[in-house]
Amino acid sequence: MTTTAIPAEARRAPAAAPKRRPRREREGAAWVFLSPWVLGAIVLTLLPMAVSLYLSFTDYDLFSPPKWVGLRNYVQMFTEDPRYWRSVATTLTYVAVAVPLQLALALVVALALKGMKHGKGFYRSAFYAPSLLGASMSVALVWRAIFNDGGTVDNLLGTGGWVNKPGWALLAMALLTVWQFGAPMVIFLAGLQQIPAELYEAAAVDGAGKWRQFLSVTVPMLSPVLFFNLVLQTIQAFQVFTPAFAVSAGKGGPADSTLVYTMYLYDRGFVASHMGYASAMAWVLLLVIGVVTAVLFRTSRSWVFYASEGDR
Amino acid sequence: MALHVGCLLALLVMLYPLAWLLATSLKPADEVIASLNLLPSHLEWSNYATALDGVNDVSIWRLLGNSLLIAGGAVLGNVISCSLAAYAFARLRFRFRGPLFAFMIATIMLPHHAVLIPQYIIFNQLGLVNTYWPLILPKFLATEAFFVFLIVQFMRSLPRELEEAARIDGCGPFRSFFQVVLPLTRPALITTAIFTFIWTWNDFFTQLIYLFDPEKFTLTLALRSFVDASSTSAFGPMFALSVIALLPIVLFFLAFQRFLVEGMASSGLKG
Amino acid sequence: MPGHRTKGFCASAAALALCAVLAGCGGSGESAGGGKVVLRYTWWGNPDRAERTEQAVALFEKQHPDIDVATSFSGYDAYKQKLATQAAGGDAPDVMQLDYRQIDQYASGGVLLDLAKQKSVLRTSEIDPGLLATGRVDDVQYAIPQGRGTETVAYDVRTWKKSGVPLPGESWTWSEWADTMRALAKQTGKPGATDPGQSEDAFEVWLRGQGKALYTEDGGLGFTAGDLTRWWTFTDRLRREGAVSPAEQTTQLDGSVENTPLGRGTSVTDANWDAPASGFAALVKGGVALAPMPTGEDGTPGQYFKPSMFVGVSADTGHPEAAAQLVDFLINDRQAAKILGASRGIPVNETIRDEIGPQLKDFDKTIAGFQTSLEGKLKDPPQAPPSGDNALQSTFQRDYDQVSYARMSPREAAENYVTEAKAELRS
Repeated sequence: MTTTAIPAEARRAPAAAPKRRPRREREGAAWVFLSPWVLGAIVLTLLPMAVSLYLSFTDYDLFSPPKWVGLRNYVQMFTEDPRYWRSVATTLTYVAVAVPLQLALALVVALALKGMKHGKGFYRSAFYAPSLLGASMSVALVWRAIFNDGGTVDNLLGTGGWVNKPGWALLAMALLTVWQFGAPMVIFLAGLQQIPAELYEAAAVDGAGKWRQFLSVTVPMLSPVLFFNLVLQTIQAFQVFTPAFAVSAGKGGPADSTLVYTMYLYDRGFVASHMGYASAMAWVLLLVIGVVTAVLFRTSRSWVFYASEGDR
Repeated sequence: MALHVGCLLALLVMLYPLAWLLATSLKPADEVIASLNLLPSHLEWSNYATALDGVNDVSIWRLLGNSLLIAGGAVLGNVISCSLAAYAFARLRFRFRGPLFAFMIATIMLPHHAVLIPQYIIFNQLGLVNTYWPLILPKFLATEAFFVFLIVQFMRSLPRELEEAARIDGCGPFRSFFQVVLPLTRPALITTAIFTFIWTWNDFFTQLIYLFDPEKFTLTLALRSFVDASSTSAFGPMFALSVIALLPIVLFFLAFQRFLVEGMASSGLKG
Repeated sequence: MPGHRTKGFCASAAALALCAVLAGCGGSGESAGGGKVVLRYTWWGNPDRAERTEQAVALFEKQHPDIDVATSFSGYDAYKQKLATQAAGGDAPDVMQLDYRQIDQYASGGVLLDLAKQKSVLRTSEIDPGLLATGRVDDVQYAIPQGRGTETVAYDVRTWKKSGVPLPGESWTWSEWADTMRALAKQTGKPGATDPGQSEDAFEVWLRGQGKALYTEDGGLGFTAGDLTRWWTFTDRLRREGAVSPAEQTTQLDGSVENTPLGRGTSVTDANWDAPASGFAALVKGGVALAPMPTGEDGTPGQYFKPSMFVGVSADTGHPEAAAQLVDFLINDRQAAKILGASRGIPVNETIRDEIGPQLKDFDKTIAGFQTSLEGKLKDPPQAPPSGDNALQSTFQRDYDQVSYARMSPREAAENYVTEAKAELRS
């Protein structure tokens, strides 16, 4: 889907090959090594994608054979299904809230840890922990309880439970994602450490203050990493499922306010047994993610700074 | 100093949900909701006794075993299949390498919902729904391209000289892979194994779709059905069960956090 | 060179063979039972029903030492979803409990066995023919009703009495009901009832009270957006007045009595089916009694005796006869009936109903008494709802959420619902 999205990688791959021309036999060996992956790519990726494209033009309830209906699923999705549009709006809101918040927090913490002499390793691991634990059902249940009527947040702020209020429920869900800022933070931190100290020294000699150094050294030098994080987190945010499922106890409520795209897809496909419709939804999601990624890559040319273009 | 105070405060907020979980799992029923006190008035160990009784008449050990079986199978599958594919991409030359590599990277970004329904139908046709195969088999076919990418990145950073030497000694690509490259790749393989374990353990969606029998449930699914089947009065046991379900990941994290953090850092940078 | 190529093919072939072996394993794994027939039997319900069912099943296993019954149960929402996926995968349990709404879809999808083929072990002679007919699709008996239920207004006796509001009589109209809820809310300080706007069932009762129906005979929509607008305007106003539960409470409904406002002690009444209402007995300390559902303004009753639950057998079962024996046991066995009581509604087997009626205990007796009081007053049940209704039930609730959270007017939401329902029923 996003071949446009990875020209840098594709270009780099052959360059890393052995310099000496290998003997022909290596070709055969390579395919042996690749065989599980090739089989998986065909049987579990390409074939299913083709099937899902076909199903998206059918009416299929799993019980009886698929019935060809042409574009009807797409037409219904775009013109007759108000809930579909609500799920789109919910997902966009979620992406727009959760991703910037998460990245901002990750960057701030990474900057704070960067110059630390003692305990950096400890903080790094401790802040990273939620990224791994946060995806579990256990934590999701805790989240729901903390943000429910009589939960910690209600008691502290007197706001009542968030999970029963439209708008607030989505925020509670976004916070669960923001809480897992550890993965982008670790990547930021590693990126920060690769910025040569000379650049800061040179900037200091030129009379640049801390803030000026941040803007003219850190930001441009970090932009590739920022970009990487942005793309990755955006793609993931578009597919968010478990936090929504947990916060709304599996229903996407209240008033559809946490019914994100994949929740609705699950609802249509696996609860209401409209596999054709759900497949159409999946394809639209695929295209949207492809387009968003492509747009990110396009705009990146104007703000992402590659210090050593072509270098590995 | 101020930095440390700030970091510690942030950490306190960050870890609060986990502390809350642990404390609540030991609270008597009437203190669970509407109480700001984090600490229970007395430790209600019976919550754990109830949780250990199992869910839907399935013992907790069985559930734990199921979870371990799936996670273990997934670890084995990913480590084997992803390192094989990664070696080919990192070191061997073959036709269409560039396009295939690009395709592999693209599948990292592919929303799995696009293939979810047909995959389900395929496994359904094979009579494999409600077995563990749909959860394990894909890992043996290197479908988690992220790990292929991770291992490729690591292998590229290895010095070529050892392999060259092995080549001169008459080693083919297979011996070279198993005897020279694989041992050196160990850190990346460990990272793969740990991430796979934790992600598989947490993966609620796939388990939700493919498993029906309470006998075959994982801890995560059992936890979910426990929530469905009980009222608010069972909050204590529910969170006791949550702690039990979370424990393996916490232990894994504590034991291997260095590999995880390094793995995450390198995946983003060398790409 | 050729050697290596062969290796490649070998590996691929081996992988394919592995797939085939795995497929074979999955298919045959189920049937192993050490000579014993193993039946899978699933139902939805509360812990009380589960306990009684387990006891009855134990008795069945004692009577049939060669049959093992593996049971499982869950709440209705989870059950519905799980069964649909299982059934679609050709992996339906041997014996399954079904809702009225599922019969059409499951029968036409080829999931259910024609029970007439098992006549020799499954007797239906003691079931009222009219009720039995509700389990038929295209003249094939796919399922047997297990019990008879009807909707009721369950109420907290002590709280109601304390409020000074007169207790409900033998019948009331919707506007009398509404006035009573307002009075209860005023006297007790908590809502009189669960907001009925979210319930397709309550809407059906209201609709039938006006001589209309949810669905036409050919499976189309039996009402207009105007009808639904009037219903939601009615409930919306009651909610704004505080006479029925607020949106935050209503949205937590999940089909279990524990999560209703009455079950949580935050309202005085709850409209529910009579069988699950037994769950309130354990939750409401002031005692629970049952009142009829409100009628149309001219006294036309909207509620009806509905076959409350069906039991069906999978078309793919390896043991049709054993499965039919279990069904027969659940419906016709005296001792089983005594154990099960009214946990699935009042028994459909008329001999058993007459026999165990007087022996019913506790809340079962209340339900039996309630049903007797309605005998002869109600209209015939509607035919089995079309397949799409299964999904529409939750759509209905969600659209009303938009109203109760004041995000849409009743008219907007009603128009949305009608659009969605028409699309659903078309497929």
